[in-house]
Amino acid sequence: MTTDIDARVIHLIAQLVPVKEKDIKPEQRLRDDLGMDSVSSMELLSMLAEDFELDVGIEDVADVHTVAATIELVKVFLAKKAA
Amino acid sequence: MQALTTDTDGGVVDALLEQTARFCAREVDARAIDAAAQIPSAVLEGLGALGLFGVTLPEAHGGAGLSLADACRVVEVLARFDRSVAVSVGLHLGLGTRGLVRYGTPAQHARWLPALASGACVAAFSTTEPGAGSDLSALRTTATEDGERLRVSGEKSYVTNGAFAGLFTVAVSTPGLGGAQRGQSLLLVEPTDAGFAVQREEHKLGLKGSSTTGLLFDDATLPRDRLLGEPGQGARMLQHILSWGRTLMSAGCCGGAAFAIDKALAHTAQRTQFGRPLAALDVVQERLARLRARHFAMEALVMATAAQADDDALATHSLAAKVFCSEGAGFVADEALQLHGALGFIEDTGLALVVRDVRVTRIFEGANDVLLTHLGQSELLRLATKPVDAGAPALDRALADFARALHDTHRLRIFRAPRLLHALGAATQWVMASRAATARAHHTMQPTHLALAQLVEQEARSAVSRAAAVTADAAVFQQALGLERLGVTP
Ligand SMILES: Cc1cc2nc3c(=O)[nH]c(=O)nc-3n(C[C@H](O)[C@H](O)[C@H](O)COP(=O)(O)OP(=O)(O)OC[C@H]3O[C@@H](n4cnc5c(N)ncnc54)[C@H](O)[C@@H]3O)c2cc1C
Repeated sequence: MTTDIDARVIHLIAQLVPVKEKDIKPEQRLRDDLGMDSVSSMELLSMLAEDFELDVGIEDVADVHTVAATIELVKVFLAKKAA
Repeated sequence: MQALTTDTDGGVVDALLEQTARFCAREVDARAIDAAAQIPSAVLEGLGALGLFGVTLPEAHGGAGLSLADACRVVEVLARFDRSVAVSVGLHLGLGTRGLVRYGTPAQHARWLPALASGACVAAFSTTEPGAGSDLSALRTTATEDGERLRVSGEKSYVTNGAFAGLFTVAVSTPGLGGAQRGQSLLLVEPTDAGFAVQREEHKLGLKGSSTTGLLFDDATLPRDRLLGEPGQGARMLQHILSWGRTLMSAGCCGGAAFAIDKALAHTAQRTQFGRPLAALDVVQERLARLRARHFAMEALVMATAAQADDDALATHSLAAKVFCSEGAGFVADEALQLHGALGFIEDTGLALVVRDVRVTRIFEGANDVLLTHLGQSELLRLATKPVDAGAPALDRALADFARALHDTHRLRIFRAPRLLHALGAATQWVMASRAATARAHHTMQPTHLALAQLVEQEARSAVSRAAAVTADAAVFQQALGLERLGVTP
């Protein structure tokens, strides 16, 4: 089931990659499927941290390689923020 | 000055370098090339006959199949004699042909590589456009599918070898091609293609013998088999091609610096003032030693870069090498000129030309200011995945502390603060250069090398301290500029 958070994350990803928003799927890899490099994926995570007002550090994102993992990261940090 | 060294079949490469140096000493007249703003065709033909245009091209197609490191040695030797010649050949071996060699199909190889290897066909490479310089995502030149053909429209700028190239690797925007909505692709273009035209020669500050032209695609039509590599994956291919180009360009900087240092050493040894040679003054000795140290580190970093087998590591190293060597060569050329006094300012001495020729190396193949930001980003990521332990050398720890402090203060926002990343990149290039210089000195264990590496390390330590003094507060700069008056919104 897609949520508002999923859609918002995918919308932000679409700003940075040469792929249409509707074609971005959770299982896709940021690098191999969406053509991001390590730097642009950090830029994305930085945009997400700002957009969702999350206190994320580099060490938290080292294992984030897919769209699904990106969405999950946002959800985990939103839950932390709410707690 | 000594030259770059590699581990490959030393005999073959050494012989080639010797022949190249002999040919250049006989045929290459840098001042005449500068005055005529052209490399004589006899020189290009002679370099072709030596096999220099095929150094990195596959043996199966007439090349020598040598490594990037070996090609660096060739470019370095050429740059000792003339930078325009070094750039023309270096661009052919790197940016011009690397894409075709790595991503081309067997049919594309068979069609173009033999002539490229012999030098009968010289290669050029084009990304820059009037509206897309540092920002390569802004390419406007567009190729669209039209049945089995591609239609291309747009304008390109500053293409090295443009006037005489027989093959151009051109980056274009290809919306939708290969499924990538905003993708870019690489095209192989010949000067005779319908709708394609090479524009006039630019007049430049230096590097005058190297051709620099624009390109015009006026609804040009190309067969579909001119696509190089996977359509839509241009950005990724460009990273690899640019890594090669930057490494070779850095090797050229080593050659120019070696020429300038040789001149400075010879001049200060024979020029007598205050009753003794200039080189007997301790203040001059320190400057000469610092020039040699910088050059030693430049060479070490180029060799360390060319030895990287992994694409990402090559990309990061090539950023550091490009910036460090272009800045280093500029510094060395300027200092060597200064040590000649008035003579340095006179064209006959040859240093004025080196100063003019080297200036562009801080701009082309990516402006250094932009590349340092990328290097800072890479370093932050590297330190996040591979933290530096307490037993690491002091210089590595100092750099890691700086990066850690930036990250702790700004968290992920740091990736959108170019000024801070730039400062980190500036420190990183010095640390990488010092690491390479130390490794080189420990490999040879020559006392001179150990002393040179020690000087480099001292400078690297100062560079890290200077960079770490960067302030996060941009408001003072904006106030000092009066941005509103310029009509720019921060
Ligand atoms: C002699 C010569 C040969 C060349 N050969 C080729 C070639 O063969 N093929 C090719 O494709 N191109 C070539 N170029 C073009 C060259 O690569 C570009 O000039 C270069 O990438 C910079 O782009 P720009 O000139 O548009 O500068 P701009 O992008 O307009 O930038 C101007 C300046 O602004 C600053 N700046 C810009 N962006 C940033 C940023 N993000 N952070 C910090 N500072 C910034 C830098 O100081 C930069 O120098 C050549 C250029 C010259 C002069």
